Amino acid sequence: MIEFLSKKLDWIDVNYWFYILNDLSLIYIILPFFVLELIRYAYLKKLNKDLILDSIANIITFGGFYVIEIILGLLAITKVYFWIYNNFSLPHLELNWITIICCILLADFAYYWEHRMMHRIGIGWATHTVHHSSPHFNMSVAYRFGPLDAIMPIIFSLPIVMLGFDPILVLLSEVFVQVFQTLLHTEIIGKFIKPVEFIFNTPSHHRVHHGSNRQYWDKNYAGILIIWDRMLGTFEPEVEKVRYGISEPIHSNNPIKVFLHGISRFLKKLKKVNGFKNKLLVFIKAPDWMPTHDQGTSTNK
Amino acid sequence: MKKTTLVFRSLAVIIFIAGIAHLTSFASQKDDLNYSYEDSIDLNQKQNLYQDENPKKITKSNPETDYIVGKWKVSYNSDNFKGAVVYSIKKEGKVFNAYTHQYQDEKGNQKKAEGAKTLIIKSFDGYKGKGRYTVEYEDQQYQVNCQIDMVDENTFKLSYDHYGYGDVETWKRQ
Repeated sequence: MIEFLSKKLDWIDVNYWFYILNDLSLIYIILPFFVLELIRYAYLKKLNKDLILDSIANIITFGGFYVIEIILGLLAITKVYFWIYNNFSLPHLELNWITIICCILLADFAYYWEHRMMHRIGIGWATHTVHHSSPHFNMSVAYRFGPLDAIMPIIFSLPIVMLGFDPILVLLSEVFVQVFQTLLHTEIIGKFIKPVEFIFNTPSHHRVHHGSNRQYWDKNYAGILIIWDRMLGTFEPEVEKVRYGISEPIHSNNPIKVFLHGISRFLKKLKKVNGFKNKLLVFIKAPDWMPTHDQGTSTNK
Repeated sequence: MKKTTLVFRSLAVIIFIAGIAHLTSFASQKDDLNYSYEDSIDLNQKQNLYQDENPKKITKSNPETDYIVGKWKVSYNSDNFKGAVVYSIKKEGKVFNAYTHQYQDEKGNQKKAEGAKTLIIKSFDGYKGKGRYTVEYEDQQYQVNCQIDMVDENTFKLSYDHYGYGDVETWKRQ
C-alpha cells in the first residue's frame, strides 16, 4: 500500500485525474444536480421569478469573478508562485499519491483559514458578502462570487508552495477543494451518517455556514473536512431551520448590484470613518467594527 | 478559543501533514544518492553515456515539445568550475537527452566537450518536465531527479534537490 502511494507519478496522469475531478464535474454532477434542484423547487411550488433571476445573477457574478481570477491566477502562478518555489521553498517534493493527498489536505486547511479571514476582516467580508447575500441555497449560489474573492486564496496558498509543493499541484488542489465545496450548496441532502458528518463538511454543515440565524454566524468555515472547525472552535451543528442571506439584504437580482454591493458598502463605511489609522483598521478589523462605539465581535451577517 | 491555541494547533496540523509529505518524498528519493562513483558510471554506461554518432531511433515529431531541441548554454560559478557549458539537447525515441557540447572558461576560451550524456528528460509537456541529471559532487558523479520549468521558449530552469545538495540552473538557448 505504502509502496503504491509513494510510487512516482507522471504529471500527465495527475492532470488527467484532476481534469476528471475538477473540470468535468460541472457536466457530470453539478449541472444534473442543479436541474434536480429546479425540479424539486417546481414540485414544492417554490420555483418563481425571484429564484430564476437570483440564479442568473449568481452565474453572471461568476463571470466577473472568473475574469479577475484568471488574470490574478495567471500572474500569481507564473510569476510569484514559481519565484517563491524556486527561491524560498523547502526541498521540492516529488509527485506521488501521498504528496498529492497531503497537498489537498493543506489546501483544505488553507481554505479554512482564508475563508475564516474572509468573514473576520473588513476587506474580506466586503467581497465575500456577495456569496452570502442570496436568500436561496442551491448549486448556483456556489458560483456567486465577489470581485476580490480570488485574492485571499492566493495569499494563503503561498505557504504551501514554500513547503515544497509544486505550484501547479497547489492550484489543482485548491480547485478540487472549491469543487467539493460547490457540491455542498444544496437543500436536497439532509444529513449523512454520523461518522461522515463528524469528519467531512456536508450540505448540513454548510447550510449552517450560510445561515443568518444568530447562532450560525461565523461557523463552519471548512472546505472538505469539518474537523478543522471542530479543532479550531468554529463548529456548529444544524439544529434550528436555517434562514439564508445576510442581516442587511440587498433586495435585488441586478448582477452588477449583487457583485459590487459589498465593496460599495465598504467604501461608504470607509468614508464615514474619520482618521487615517481608523480607515486602515476598517480593512483589517471585524466587519462590524467601528472606531468609537457599536463594536461587535461577529460578522454582520 | 485563545489565539495561542489557534496558532499552536494550526502549526501542528501544518507540520504533521507537510512532514508526512517530506518523509515520503525523502524515503523514495534517498536511494538515488546511494550510488558509488563506479555504480553511477556503470549505470550511465548502461544508458549510453556517450553520444551515439549514428542514432538509429525513429522519433515522432511534436512541435509543442520539440522546440527544446538545440544548443543550450549554462553558466557555472562554483569552486570546481567557473565558466559555461554548452549542451546539445536531442530527441531520441520518447525522451530528450542533453549531451555536453562545448566548455567555455571565464575568459571565453572554448574547448569541444566529449559529448557525455548529462541529462535525460523523461517527460516534457512543453512547459514542465522531469528527468535525471548527472551532477558531480566531491569528484563523484550522481544521477539525481530533476525538474524542468520553461520560463520562455529560450530559457528554462533546471532544478534538483537532494536534501542538502540542490541547485537551480538557468539554461539559455545558444
